Amino acid sequence: MIPDVETLVDLYRDMWLIRAFELGLEREFKKGNVPGMLHTGLGQEATQAALATHLKATDCFFPDHRCHGINALAEEKFGGDGERIMAELFGRATGVCSGKGGSLHSANPKVGNFGDNAVEGSFMATVLGVALAWKMRKEPNVACCIIGDGTVGRGEFHESLNMAAIWQLPVLYACVNNGYAISTAVGKAHASADIVDMARGYGLPCVQVDGNDIELAYAAVHQAIEHIRAGKGPYFLEFKTWRWQGIFSGEFRPPAEVKYWKDERDPIKLARERILSRTDFAGADLDRIEAEMKAEIEHWIEFSKQSPMPDPAKATANVYVGWE
Amino acid sequence: MTATATKGTSAAQQGRVRTYVQALNEALDIAMGRDPNVFLLGEDIGEMGGDFGVTRGLWTKYGDDRVRDTPLSEAAIIGASVGSAMVGMRPVAEIMFADFLGECYDQLVNNAAKMHYMFDGQFKAPIVVRTACGGGFGGGPHHSQSVEGWFLNVPGLVIVAPATPADAKGLLIASIENDNPILFLEHKALYRVKGDVPEGYYTTPLRQAVVARAGRDVTIVATMKMVHEALAAATELSAAGIEAEVIDLRTLRPYDETTVLESVRKTGRAVVANEAPKLGGLGAELSATISEACFHDLKAPVVRVAGLDTPIPFSMVLEKYILPGKEQIIAGVKQALQ
Repeated sequence: MIPDVETLVDLYRDMWLIRAFELGLEREFKKGNVPGMLHTGLGQEATQAALATHLKATDCFFPDHRCHGINALAEEKFGGDGERIMAELFGRATGVCSGKGGSLHSANPKVGNFGDNAVEGSFMATVLGVALAWKMRKEPNVACCIIGDGTVGRGEFHESLNMAAIWQLPVLYACVNNGYAISTAVGKAHASADIVDMARGYGLPCVQVDGNDIELAYAAVHQAIEHIRAGKGPYFLEFKTWRWQGIFSGEFRPPAEVKYWKDERDPIKLARERILSRTDFAGADLDRIEAEMKAEIEHWIEFSKQSPMPDPAKATANVYVGWE
Repeated sequence: MTATATKGTSAAQQGRVRTYVQALNEALDIAMGRDPNVFLLGEDIGEMGGDFGVTRGLWTKYGDDRVRDTPLSEAAIIGASVGSAMVGMRPVAEIMFADFLGECYDQLVNNAAKMHYMFDGQFKAPIVVRTACGGGFGGGPHHSQSVEGWFLNVPGLVIVAPATPADAKGLLIASIENDNPILFLEHKALYRVKGDVPEGYYTTPLRQAVVARAGRDVTIVATMKMVHEALAAATELSAAGIEAEVIDLRTLRPYDETTVLESVRKTGRAVVANEAPKLGGLGAELSATISEACFHDLKAPVVRVAGLDTPIPFSMVLEKYILPGKEQIIAGVKQALQ
């Protein structure tokens, strides 16, 4: 189902929230204000927006390696506080995990965020249990796990798809195929550069979609979620996309490839063109949406910077449940 | 670390004799009967009742949904356990042989054990992972290992290792009810051991060692099968006028320092007996802790009795050579008494 124009404008806003978040974060990282490592979802905004808009607070998602956007959207959507995702990346006491998780281990079950795991693929096993519990208790929720193309190399990918298929679990597998696992091209790492080919043998619906086209991405997620909510078992979606961030030392991909994806396949630029071309577009100030989101993110960054660092003594809390 | 009831005895003494396997089976049955969120998953645990018969009869009683056969997918078994526990279930996974824990090491160490901490208390992972460990039956390099050392250095994980049928039942129920991820080690040599097992529901406290035999001359701290070897050694030593105190550690992580240290302060001598290889093992940890805390009470260096530093060989002659037992413990005690 192609989104109506109001939904499309909402998605445009969501995509700008993600982009502004990542650009602001990148800037602060370069200034040395953000510790650890940085993995941004720049260029992949459409997939995250399409997924986030379909999930309910009672569903869950396991966010991928470039997940700040969907984490922040879930906070915004379900009455949480998006700035606490930012504060977590700054390692502050106000972060969603009080500074213990950081970029790759942010979670908030109140908004359905069941946490990233920096061991790629690990949560492909975990998602099975959430879905199994819901199926056993007849709770009609969707358990979504978002993975990158690199994760396909993990044993858990195959164990998970197999088990979800034999037990007909309500799992949405959303594979963000951005072409590279750090520096290794998808076609070099896997038997097929099309991940759906790898998944198809497990007998679940496998659909590949242009991850930079918000309308198509939205429609694909919509269909997948309907299938799962109807109790028809797991579903595999592959978003073909491309990440803007290079590797730690800089850009490694051919200039023509970079230019193509940034100039011609920018998901936000494409979405804007799409909105303006819609005959039912009654007019909304798209520039203003962009400015609002950028201002909102600056507020989050400021909030994070002003937030206190965690009390060092808290480092030993919550190792065990109920035991000091 | 709580120190209450450390002088207690194993819950037992009713003359109701059961094997270790039967005791575990009773524990699972009782836990499943009391809480609908408890369910079992693992390889061949359903109609077949598990490789060692621990889940026998439960599939008939509770059905496919709660006694769930899985593919040979250890990572998915533990991952599914963790995920279900995140949303309120109480899974008990069976990993057929402890040697297979390598297949799900990441799930236990990076996921289950860290879940509560890295998300700062927002999730917990109350899973129990039962597994058959230990050698002595010709199982060879991949069916015989003692694996507690692989997991000792993992904050957030609990390691429970009962030595008697009564403790097997009480500790398993307590583990299922506990909110932490628990690796539950079942030494294969103990499965047929018989002992008094109280009827019905009871729990045995976690993180509490038990004095399996009181004595004044030397403390032997042991785990699992080595508890029985230590008790046999103590009987022989007693005939020679040496009274050994045997401590069954029961929970290996976090362990009950208080009971161990109190005993060593009393006897002034300590032998730690564990089946795994010596280097980097539980014996090393216990020995270091005893030496740190009781240095001025010790009349002799702490002695470690352990397996030789090899994988487990197949031939029974070879296996017997590398695994420790009663004789090594007696030799260890004599060394500690010098």
